[in-house]
Amino acid sequence: MEDKSMLISRHAWLFMKYQNRNFAKQFTYIFVLLGLSVGILPISGCGKHADSDTRAAVAAGKLLAEKGHGTIPACIACHGNNGEGLDAAGYPRLAGLNATYIEKQLNDLARELPPAGVVIESVAKDYSKTPRIYSDLTVFSPGLRHDDVMSPIAKQLSKTDIHNIAAYYSSLPFQAKPVAADYEVLERGQDLALRGKPEYGLPACISCHAPNGEGFGTDFPPLAGQPAAYIVNQINKWQRGDRDNDNLGLMHAVADQLTDADKLNVAAYYANRSLIVNGK
Amino acid sequence: MHKYLLGAGALFGIAFGTWVAADANTDNTDDLPTLDSIQTRASMQQPKLTLPNELTVVPVIKPGEYFVPPKLEDLTESKYADEVRLGRNIFVHTQEYAKRYVGNGLNCSSCHLQEGRKPHAAPLWGAYPMYPMYRDKSRQVITFQERLQDCFRFSLNGMAPTLDSREIEALTVYAQWLSTGVPMGTIMAGRGFARIDKTEDPSPFNGAIIYKNYCASCHGDDMYGKKFTDRDGYMFPPLAGPDSYNKGAGMHKVKTCASFVKANMPLGKPFTLNDDQALEVCVHMFMQDRPWDPRKGMFMSIFMPVTEG
Repeated sequence: MEDKSMLISRHAWLFMKYQNRNFAKQFTYIFVLLGLSVGILPISGCGKHADSDTRAAVAAGKLLAEKGHGTIPACIACHGNNGEGLDAAGYPRLAGLNATYIEKQLNDLARELPPAGVVIESVAKDYSKTPRIYSDLTVFSPGLRHDDVMSPIAKQLSKTDIHNIAAYYSSLPFQAKPVAADYEVLERGQDLALRGKPEYGLPACISCHAPNGEGFGTDFPPLAGQPAAYIVNQINKWQRGDRDNDNLGLMHAVADQLTDADKLNVAAYYANRSLIVNGK
Repeated sequence: MHKYLLGAGALFGIAFGTWVAADANTDNTDDLPTLDSIQTRASMQQPKLTLPNELTVVPVIKPGEYFVPPKLEDLTESKYADEVRLGRNIFVHTQEYAKRYVGNGLNCSSCHLQEGRKPHAAPLWGAYPMYPMYRDKSRQVITFQERLQDCFRFSLNGMAPTLDSREIEALTVYAQWLSTGVPMGTIMAGRGFARIDKTEDPSPFNGAIIYKNYCASCHGDDMYGKKFTDRDGYMFPPLAGPDSYNKGAGMHKVKTCASFVKANMPLGKPFTLNDDQALEVCVHMFMQDRPWDPRKGMFMSIFMPVTEG
């Protein structure tokens, strides 16, 4: 009882201390931003440069994707003419994916896998602002992803190439072709996708990959419109350790709990979904 | 004469007191050499791996430990089934199906995870069989329907639907269906949230660091959640700000919030944070702005010390 009342008074004190500061901060931000935007807009020409930069990147990315360059093969050979992927071989679709996501995956594919038993150097996450984190450092993987076909190709790509390709494929439109499946498989897949397995602590797919599996933001890629074989392959890779580049290791924890039947059911469910992505 | 002496004495006292207080408040950092511990110790400049000194106990889930509610696909066609499906829709898509009673951007399933099925996330099958029960907050024995009204009023920051409204009826049927086979008045394993044992006073500064590392990538740096880019609604629910729960909600209690966070967050990696870390994150959340407590009114919410929900 005494403990609880102490907690409350402490919080009240903290809140009163910080509440005013927050308000003051917000107002300061608003005024500073207003001033800056009014001052900068006429100088910058309303962001025309950024737009033309993106268009140039898309054009360069398109050239690389269609023709290849030197020993780099053309992307369209495996990923389809419009980046729609190849169902039979399990090559992923790239059209309409988040540009930052594509960029990160290519960088991770190009990264050398460390030999077994070597401790991975952690990636610093803005330590300048929070120096006290040194005392209990959490180690984040720099992002490792290995694929026998794609890794050698990704290693040949420069940073600019990766940026251009990501810009090109994220700008492409896409329309999924739903693949028919047995209704029992779909029902089980849907149960896993919408509800997960609460009694085992396994979250639903939709809680991160968006309600229709269309993906969300830079961390959560789409599941709908991906070849079923690709989804199953990736979950297998997480289980084997060939892929370890997810935010906070969330997908690693999820993949560890999936059975073989789960993978097939949920992949079939998402291959069965319709999805339309408008190009940019 | 005495009057003037008294006045002069009072003035001197105030001036002297202010000077002493100001002197006590100033820390004499200018006189002392400033030593940044990170800069002076070369070994601390490289991030290095330390072994965790506080191990978290992660419960091993045994098959059959937690109650498994019936499957939605197993429902046969009947009026009962329709009511259950409506209740599920209201529960999961509260923003569409119960919009008229909701004042923020949350759904029921934002906290009652996985359609109200997940153990340690206040599952409906753990709550429904316990009602009617005595509740400290309302200081009386309340029914399940009245408890639902409180959810709308505080956690959803809206208006309480009347007890005979479509929404309350459908939600009650849904909860009753989810707890099919649970004996009335039974305390089920996984009911409510996880247990929290505090070992030290939580620090909001550590909480801010933990939030940045574990929570910010989904709920945003400002805790305002993340909205869909192509339609209305939130992909990741807001933890603070005008679209979040209000100061009367149970989640505004630091301990309740921590027991939820410990058992459920980050989503997919429950029990990552230990009890103290969960409390620290929740103190950080507690300090943010959010809608005022509807029981107190705006004036009292602003000018009185903040109380827990």
